[in-house]
Amino acid sequence: MENQNSATSDAVLVVGGGIAGIEAALNLADYGLHVYLVEDTPSIGGLMARLDKTFPTNDCSICIEAPKMYEAQKHPNIELLTNCEVRRVKGKVGDFTVRLQKKPRFVDEEKCKGCGKCSEVCPVTISDELDGKISGQRKLIYIPFPQAVPNVYLVDNSCRYGKLREDGACIGGCIIDCIQCRECPIAKCVKACKDEGADAVLLWQQAKPMDVNVKSIVVASGVEAFEPPIGLYGYGKYENVITNLQFERLMNAGGPTDGEIIRPSDKKHPKTIAWIQCVGREARVGIPYCSKVCCMIATKQTIITKEHDEDVKTFIFNNNLKTYGKGFHEFYTKAKGLGVKYIIGKPSDVFEDPETKSLIIRYEDLEKGDVAELQVDLLVLSTALIPSGRNNKLAKTLKIELDENGFFQEPDPVNAPLETNVKGIYLCGGATGPIDISESVAQATAASIKAASKGVSNGD
Amino acid sequence: MEIRVGVFVCDCGTNIGGVVDVSDVVEYAKTLSDVVFADEGRWICSVDYLNKIKEYVKEHDLNRVVVACCTPRTHEPTFKSTVKEAGLNPYLLEFVSIREQSSWVHKSDPKKATEKAKDLVRMGVAKARLLEPAEETRVSVGKDCVVIGGGISGMTSALALADSGFDVKLIEKNNEIGGILCQADKIAPFEAQASEIVADRKKQIEERNNIEVYTGSEIQDVKGYVGNYKVMIEKEGEKNEHDVSTIIVATGMRELEPEGQFQYKKSPNVVTQLQLENMLKSQDLKDLKEVAIINCVNSRNDMRGCCNVGCLISIKNAKALKEKNENAKIYLFYRDLNIRGPEVPYFKEIIEKYDIKLVRISEDKMPEVFEDDGRLALKTHDILLGRELTFNPDLIVLTTAFQGDATVEKLKGLLKVSANDDGFFQEAHIKLRPLDFASDGIYLGGCARSPKSARESIEEAMGAAMRAAIPMKRGYVEAEGIVADIDYEKCNECGLCAKNCAFGAIELMDKRPEVIKAICKGCGTCAAECPKDAIDIIHFTEEQILAQVEAALEEEPQDKILAFCCHWCALGAVDMAGVGRSEYPFNIRIIRVMCVGRVDKSFIMKAYELGAGGILVAGCEFPTCHYITGNYKCKDRIEKLKKKLEKDGKDTDKLWIVWLSAADGPKFVKTVKDMVDNLNL
Repeated sequence: MENQNSATSDAVLVVGGGIAGIEAALNLADYGLHVYLVEDTPSIGGLMARLDKTFPTNDCSICIEAPKMYEAQKHPNIELLTNCEVRRVKGKVGDFTVRLQKKPRFVDEEKCKGCGKCSEVCPVTISDELDGKISGQRKLIYIPFPQAVPNVYLVDNSCRYGKLREDGACIGGCIIDCIQCRECPIAKCVKACKDEGADAVLLWQQAKPMDVNVKSIVVASGVEAFEPPIGLYGYGKYENVITNLQFERLMNAGGPTDGEIIRPSDKKHPKTIAWIQCVGREARVGIPYCSKVCCMIATKQTIITKEHDEDVKTFIFNNNLKTYGKGFHEFYTKAKGLGVKYIIGKPSDVFEDPETKSLIIRYEDLEKGDVAELQVDLLVLSTALIPSGRNNKLAKTLKIELDENGFFQEPDPVNAPLETNVKGIYLCGGATGPIDISESVAQATAASIKAASKGVSNGD
Repeated sequence: MEIRVGVFVCDCGTNIGGVVDVSDVVEYAKTLSDVVFADEGRWICSVDYLNKIKEYVKEHDLNRVVVACCTPRTHEPTFKSTVKEAGLNPYLLEFVSIREQSSWVHKSDPKKATEKAKDLVRMGVAKARLLEPAEETRVSVGKDCVVIGGGISGMTSALALADSGFDVKLIEKNNEIGGILCQADKIAPFEAQASEIVADRKKQIEERNNIEVYTGSEIQDVKGYVGNYKVMIEKEGEKNEHDVSTIIVATGMRELEPEGQFQYKKSPNVVTQLQLENMLKSQDLKDLKEVAIINCVNSRNDMRGCCNVGCLISIKNAKALKEKNENAKIYLFYRDLNIRGPEVPYFKEIIEKYDIKLVRISEDKMPEVFEDDGRLALKTHDILLGRELTFNPDLIVLTTAFQGDATVEKLKGLLKVSANDDGFFQEAHIKLRPLDFASDGIYLGGCARSPKSARESIEEAMGAAMRAAIPMKRGYVEAEGIVADIDYEKCNECGLCAKNCAFGAIELMDKRPEVIKAICKGCGTCAAECPKDAIDIIHFTEEQILAQVEAALEEEPQDKILAFCCHWCALGAVDMAGVGRSEYPFNIRIIRVMCVGRVDKSFIMKAYELGAGGILVAGCEFPTCHYITGNYKCKDRIEKLKKKLEKDGKDTDKLWIVWLSAADGPKFVKTVKDMVDNLNL
């Protein structure tokens, strides 16, 4: 095991490599501190890397984020640890010892050139984690997205452990454990990489623990999109009901449809699309808070839809439109000017026309004071942002408290915002609650001055 | 000194070598002028080969290096440090992209892919021969900061900086620090007393010996740049100049008084929320029977957006009123309730527990307030009930919009930054640089940027402190070697360059422009816009780029599309087309510029003169520009140039301009195909 940095540490651990974590890491590194930027997925970038555009300016999301991702990777003061988990924390402010564990990628990060020959020869194509529902696919050896940082491939765990034998995985027939064997005459990816001269695919790679010593910790675990229960507004029952994140991937030129907005049932361009806001706030689901950003996401999605095809009719069912930030109201006005119709109220029911696979939305028309119906080709559910699935485990590991919603608790938000019940552990971004990119960046910058401050020193 | 170029061509395993005949490219490179060495490597970015490059530089006495491999967007820093380790100036490297721009996108025609790789190497060598060493410039930055504004943001920034070991001058125009919180009652949703928060921060500030507070003071003049500001502070008629290194703007906000509306100032019983809060603190305010709170007064209209905090303030004050008047009916007239995040349970609890009556009003029509028989009356349409309602409240509270401080108009000129019509300052980038101004050394936070809650202001103020702390902790700011360079023999001191610089990196000393190299970002807009052609960009000089143009169009120019792509999104799209192995016509030859702001008319004229079949300028999709305004300036310039070319009888159909996002691989491919089709190439 590697043991880095001795007792008197001037290093900081940043947990989470989304935009908040990247921003915190860059600020701390520019301030002159050594930063361990730990991300448990194979690439940094977080949710922002998967978005098409950002409101209210419609900046392309990856265009503005990718330079920051590269900067974080190259910064001499940042040690980037992807596919890596926080396992244990000991000590106190000024002197935390953190056990990290690099999960096996089955690909040597130093040797892989990101050339993709391994993926070309891989015989099994499966549905992608994020884009699967809208026909996104990937190989068993893959790169999470084109701009991934690091630009290094990884092997699906299920392939390595022989779980995909029946699906035709090339190493499926082998009975010897890769760890015993340490070379592979069977796997096509191993051979392709050897032929390239890189020899980077290591199916026998094992998890690697390491201890680091840091003076403070910034938690930037992010948010996740809520997955609606089957049947809610027809989700999971009717093919043409998708979530706003799936719609975002449809719009994205780097997404599974190359930016073609097509509906799942027949791959045709929808002519009418409706959005239902606040999905997850229903009594039967019970999310008690407002996710803040969904109104602007829907507004952005209608604007981009209109940019793709101005004749598409768009409707947003909403209760209280949140246009709170700088430029948001102007953005909403722009959407209205483009013909986007905002309807107050939440639909009661959604049905599918079995012939056309279009959706019939039943709602209360306030103007007419009566029940009305609207038929659309595609229905988008603007789902809530929920705490990261990592939070429970992280809370236990770091001994910091969660609030009633599963976000991290700030004991004194006015006098000590972004602080936790453990001195030396700070929060930013989606770890604190639903949040937009710009607020995440501001919080990350704020958390970094706390993590860097002189008060955070040994024995203080 | 003799120019000795070394060319290193990568196989990238079979990624390049499997399509392009790399040894042929190497042999070709050896025939180019000044090339004294060329070699093929299986992976030239591997540690082994990088060491070899260093050896070859020494062995063959190389003083210019060309690498032909993947993309500069990911690998330029690696080779730059290798060149540096070999003892050369890192700016003596030229990067040629033959994987993304040839082998990956022309794989079905290895012969043509090889031809194109040779052309790209020739273009690279043409530039490399003219490369000059460049120096990274540093400006030293001290440890002192001026914070303008002594409200909760300014106080928070000052404390955060002081606790990090920096010296702060905190400037407040009023006689007391505390800002808008001095007038406020409680901070929602936390039920904290504003006065206690102010008192606590004041006490902390007094305890710090590295915060100097200037009350009753205003900024009268600001000169200089990061590390070298001279700030004139006026207090009681006395002006003193102070040298400081960084500036934080925290000028806050104030209520926009609804003069002439809703009987405001006509009736003493119509007040704003802040006036109400003052009353809550100083008066009994008992015996109210009916209170009307009107939200969105002068907000969310054609003039301005949502005030961000009004809904929360109205709920908080509704509760405070009800606490003093148990039997009063409190009506809240709202449009959309902007209660968000964890404020929702707080809001719900108050509405239920204190029986606040909500009336949803139309977006297009605010309630009417008038005098009726000496009593206040309010008439409105409740859109949820679908009918007209009339009220006779004893008190009407207006949740007004906010505007920036009165000093903003003057300050924005002194600081050379912009602000909107309401007096809120413009940040460098709304998403990713919310706390920076475009110029290094000046930062902002809190309500100076837009209206926000105390909590949000505190967070932003800490963030702004971090932004200012970074250069002060390092002790310097440093710029890359790619910077503007003025030829004073040609300059006629028109001052246009200073105006065109989005970063405030060109200062006029009297009338003579001077580039502050440490804060110049090297976008090249000033150079392309200079009417006297007196500015050049080091590492992207006119001579170097024209040499690339000539090299690109050396053979069969009529079949070639000469493209100028910015390093960020346009090259990002090109690289993405490569990663996606999307094949497109072989005709295009790309010259990289950092920003299309650099694309000088002369580059395009040269391409016309040499008979290019097509010319493409590709920059970042609006509104993104990594240099803030480069693409906008380029667009205007090309449009003007097109008119001129038309006048001169030139075929303007062959000059194309496209704006790309880094995810626009498919759009780039389509553009190239369309050009080839339309121009019959």
